[in-house]
Amino acid sequence: MGRLLLAEWTKLASVPRWVAAIVAAVVLTVLVGLLGAASSTSDANRHWDFAVGPDGRSVRDDFHLAHRPLAGDGSVTARVASQAGLVGELQDRARAGVILKEGLEPGSRYAAMMVTPGHGVRFQANFADEVAGGGTGARWLRLTRFGSVVDGYESADGTAWRRVGTVDLAGLPSTVQVGLFVASPDAVQVTRQFGSVGIGGHPTAATATFDNVRVEPAGSPPGASWTDRDVGRPALEGDATERAGGFTVSGSGDLAVVPPEDDVVRLSLTGVLVGLMAVVGLGVLSITSEYKRGMIRTTFAASPRRGRVLAAKALVLGGATFVAGLVACLAAFLLAQPTLRANGYGPPAFPRASLADGPVLRAVIGSAAVLALVAVLGLAAGAILRRSAGAITAVILLLVLPQLVAAALPVSAGRWLQRLTPSAGFAIQQTVERGLCLPEDGCFPEGPWLGFGVLCAYVAVALAVAFWLLRRRDA
Amino acid sequence: MSTTIELRDLRKRYGRTVAVDGLSFTVAPGEVTAFVGPNGAGKSTTMRMILGLDAPDEGAALVGGQRYRSLPSPLRVVGALLDAGAVHPGRRARDHLLWMARAAGLPRGRVEEVVELVGLGPVAGRRAGALSLGMRQRLGLAGALLGDPPVLVLDEPANGLDPQGIVWIRGLLRSLAADGRAVLVSSHLMSELEGSADHLVAIGRGRLVADTSVRDLLAAASGDRVVVRTAQRTEAMTLLANAGATVSATGREVVTVSGLPAERIVALLSQRGLAFSEVAAHRASLEEAYMELTRDAVEFGAPATGEA
Repeated sequence: MGRLLLAEWTKLASVPRWVAAIVAAVVLTVLVGLLGAASSTSDANRHWDFAVGPDGRSVRDDFHLAHRPLAGDGSVTARVASQAGLVGELQDRARAGVILKEGLEPGSRYAAMMVTPGHGVRFQANFADEVAGGGTGARWLRLTRFGSVVDGYESADGTAWRRVGTVDLAGLPSTVQVGLFVASPDAVQVTRQFGSVGIGGHPTAATATFDNVRVEPAGSPPGASWTDRDVGRPALEGDATERAGGFTVSGSGDLAVVPPEDDVVRLSLTGVLVGLMAVVGLGVLSITSEYKRGMIRTTFAASPRRGRVLAAKALVLGGATFVAGLVACLAAFLLAQPTLRANGYGPPAFPRASLADGPVLRAVIGSAAVLALVAVLGLAAGAILRRSAGAITAVILLLVLPQLVAAALPVSAGRWLQRLTPSAGFAIQQTVERGLCLPEDGCFPEGPWLGFGVLCAYVAVALAVAFWLLRRRDA
Repeated sequence: MSTTIELRDLRKRYGRTVAVDGLSFTVAPGEVTAFVGPNGAGKSTTMRMILGLDAPDEGAALVGGQRYRSLPSPLRVVGALLDAGAVHPGRRARDHLLWMARAAGLPRGRVEEVVELVGLGPVAGRRAGALSLGMRQRLGLAGALLGDPPVLVLDEPANGLDPQGIVWIRGLLRSLAADGRAVLVSSHLMSELEGSADHLVAIGRGRLVADTSVRDLLAAASGDRVVVRTAQRTEAMTLLANAGATVSATGREVVTVSGLPAERIVALLSQRGLAFSEVAAHRASLEEAYMELTRDAVEFGAPATGEA
């Protein structure tokens, strides 16, 4: 096998046009990435009205809160007796529950237990961490603080408690705010017609009644009393009234990480889609050029084990394009980021992307891997079809067409097209979860790895078919 | 270095066309075996089956008793030249040999050896697309000789060579056989193989037509004919015919005679006082012998139905 790898490497490196194709793929990937970065602008930071969460991301921290201080260890308990829509219908993600927050400033750390109409009981901490409850329809909620650790509990009857989640809020001040909160996010409606996307939204408000409200120890700090206010800037003003042993709280807003409007890492890697054309051509020609002139016979006479020849070709081609792709993607990412920041894609609306972040590194290395896989897909298609033009057209159509056609299809059909074609592999470039995930933006809702897996599966199947045909057919 | 090629009842069809139809013969070491037949007779198909490139429908082609595909290091056993055009035009001649050497696990130095052996030295650094057909034939031969194999399979190696090239390749074939190698050379032009072939295998429409040693073939074709060169051709022909010989005019002053020994012809001509400048036993050319051999073979006739 070592000999074969060396032989295939000699073949690849000794045709100047093929070396030029690899260089062209690198140059195209970087240049198109830079051009894309230079021509993209964002004004998201200019009318930015979010809070900055504990991990530096933009967050919505808007809700209505009935609260009182709690000094030292203790707990807050309440039963959500009812939850209803006040302005607009009750949203699936409307929240009502108990919260323990280090302060009243938007973006400050917290832990909360809540009920939602669509997603049951949930424990949530610091916007990002969320744990679902047992799904038993419990309405009793409790948060306990011990040191810096806050635990969330649910109960159906107020006596038997089950722990849902826990969080360590290191450095939590001695006195924190505990209370009852209500939030109701905007109702969002997406309409699409042949490529044009309309996004409509209107604010909503919800109301909830709480009973069995208890803060323990009751007298800590001495003289603590209940009050209410809007935290952050909810779209609609909230209100709270105290009744015997309970509260009615109404409010608007949400507690959530705000996804950036765009993926700055992906933006800097758009050139991969163009660099890929050169790489597909190289992959296809590396075998069809042998068929065209009959050199494949010299190859198979030298190495009659044809499966190994195919494997060696795939490894050499994949390895070379991966290394070239890695150089290209690293360069595109590093060179495009300053331009993008200068064009408005900077913090806080767009957190700074660094190669030290797992998802960023995954996108950069993954894009290089996509280039390598696509080259091998071209090789396999070339081995199957034995004609350059047909194989190049087939592979490029499979990769590019779905992204163009998806925009004209209904969202669900577009998603399926995206899932079922090798273009799903571009999902590896995703580094953020977007609020609005549309196939024409290349957004793949199932996440980066599944999409990448689809591309890998295509390559594996194409190689298997090529392997079978090579062994079966006369050379 | 005594490895043979052995074909046993080899058959191959492509769709409805029978390309090779029950072919059996052996290529012996130390000999140049000429593999001849008209275009489309199945020579190239047979060679591809020997090299494991096309799978026979029936029968087997064995090299040293093994199928080609099971040879552990095939380039060291069989050197092949199938098509001089089978090189990437953008690759330098030397690099083409280098990848082959690497696939066979041969040292880089071997490339320079074969480059010198086939006289490719001055152009080895050029891209294959810039080489003349003759130089590409030499490149193909260099590839065949790379693994110093005991068996050579060469498909029309003289194609595109200039007259000096043809002389050169005859010498090369002779020296390869003298080393004890089994050399199978196909051609559709017998003159190219004149003086270098020891054995002849002729096929037509996929079937064996002749499998004979060249010496026997030439002896049979030459027969007992005598060539007489004389200015008085007509008189000589009448005289010899009356003496019981079969005569035919084969040139302006040349008469070919059979049925009479040379001594008797000289005596007859001298008796009658007819001047002659030459009386010699006839030596058939390989081409002539081949034509004679195949004249009656139906396989060489015009095909009744369309044939590839």
